[in-house]
Amino acid sequence: MRTFRSGLLIGLAAAVVVAAIAITYERYDTRTLSRTTRRGEVLCGVNKGLPGFSIPDDKGNWTGFDVDFCRAIAAAIFDNPKKAKFVPLEASERFKELQNRKVDILSRNSTWSMARETNYDLYFPAVAYYDGEGFMVPRDRKIDTALELNGSKVCVQSETTTQLNLADYFRANNMKYQEVKFGKLDEVVKAYDSGQCDTLTADVSQLYALRLNMAKPGDQVILPDVISKEPLAPVVRQRDDDWMMIVKWTLYAMINAEELGVTSKNIDEALKSRKPDVMRLVGTDGAYGEELGLSKDWAARIIRHVGNYGEVYERNVGSGSKLGIPRGLNQLWSAGGIQYAPPIR
Amino acid sequence: MLNLRNLASIIIAVVGLTLSASSSFAQQPDVGDQPGLLADDSVELDPEYRKQVVYYRTSEAPGTIIIATAERHLYLVQGNGRALRYGIGVGREGFQWQGLLNISRKAEWPDWTPPPEMIARQPYLPRFMAGGPGNPLGARAMYLGSTVYRIHGTNRPDTIGTAVSSGCFRLVNADVTDLYERVPVGTKVIVRQKPEL
Repeated sequence: MRTFRSGLLIGLAAAVVVAAIAITYERYDTRTLSRTTRRGEVLCGVNKGLPGFSIPDDKGNWTGFDVDFCRAIAAAIFDNPKKAKFVPLEASERFKELQNRKVDILSRNSTWSMARETNYDLYFPAVAYYDGEGFMVPRDRKIDTALELNGSKVCVQSETTTQLNLADYFRANNMKYQEVKFGKLDEVVKAYDSGQCDTLTADVSQLYALRLNMAKPGDQVILPDVISKEPLAPVVRQRDDDWMMIVKWTLYAMINAEELGVTSKNIDEALKSRKPDVMRLVGTDGAYGEELGLSKDWAARIIRHVGNYGEVYERNVGSGSKLGIPRGLNQLWSAGGIQYAPPIR
Repeated sequence: MLNLRNLASIIIAVVGLTLSASSSFAQQPDVGDQPGLLADDSVELDPEYRKQVVYYRTSEAPGTIIIATAERHLYLVQGNGRALRYGIGVGREGFQWQGLLNISRKAEWPDWTPPPEMIARQPYLPRFMAGGPGNPLGARAMYLGSTVYRIHGTNRPDTIGTAVSSGCFRLVNADVTDLYERVPVGTKVIVRQKPEL
């Protein structure tokens, strides 16, 4: 009897110890890749609803540029883009929730700045989308450049960096302007749409989205000038280099794929290519994916399931979308833009 | 004298068209070459292919033309990080060559003499067609070096943004006329192709 009872106690104690170790391991395992593979999905912190970047439909299907980037990571790890789960986060809580490990990555239109990396102990692996402040003007003004805006009445949201950038730009170019400012963006847009201003300023991606809801979208043009730096990037926790590398090289694989002409439509052909750059990308030469902790064909998986950078851009925010934002800064460096990925070799 | 020349052109064109009609029973005409069809100017281009000023970073001098065939865009570099962008249609000839050329000649409402290779491929085409609204070369042509490549207008504005079987780099007539006024003979033209796998 006594031996039975002590046996039971020892067994219980052992179970408690095992459970404690498991819980501790789960909580304190800082390697995101192993947490992700154990869980069987990538947890992506996204914007609650930003057309073109991340937005759910009424059935809960997410679409957008940021959403597709997270799917690309899931494709690289699991060969299945559906293994990305989306967690909507407010702007104010996003960095804290990433630190709390509620998500594995933020793919949520966040501007990369020095203070954000140093203050929050975070890391922005690479720029996914170059945004910046721009101007909308009525088409019939026939203006080609922001330098022709001297003497304009400018609609702008008050108490924002947008307002500060506007002041800097006009001062630097010896131009005068008159601010027509409002606290809420809706009011700013309404004022412009009713003809109270000569131009409207906001981030370029936002201007394209706002234009959709104006009285006559076709009568408005967005100037090609970008007057501030808003580099939007995914975000990961510091001191997890293996995971940071996966996020960074997922983006670079997509950019390199576009530069080499590899698309979701010709990926099977690309797997038979004898061109060295293409072979290294799709994994028929070398073992670059294995060095990342993934498979040789990691990049081929991304391209097959999600597409190259240009495909993802055009589908979500470019010519294949309602927004119709020209590639601009986000065109490849070899085709008029500044998107540039280090080579896979 | 001039009238006589025009008359001769018209007769040759009519003969050509008649010949083409007889042989086209055997072969479907390629999309994009419809001699005699008048351009429908009411065709509205996709926003992506409408003439517009865009951000464009390049080390090429202002005034240079850069043709990105895969994108179906023609850029006229303006300097200061921008370019004037036009939508284009690209043809079989336009897909074979990449590199640098110069505009060697410019012509308004150019005559059309399809080269022998094209006749061999599309025997129904006329041997000669005088310039005018029904001419597939459209309102203006800019000839590139001593090659068969050229930038020209079209009588088929609906083919902008596509890769059609013939024709080099085609713009709608309003755009090709606009470009024609902006670039002199001698202008540098850089043609960029999609990378091959």
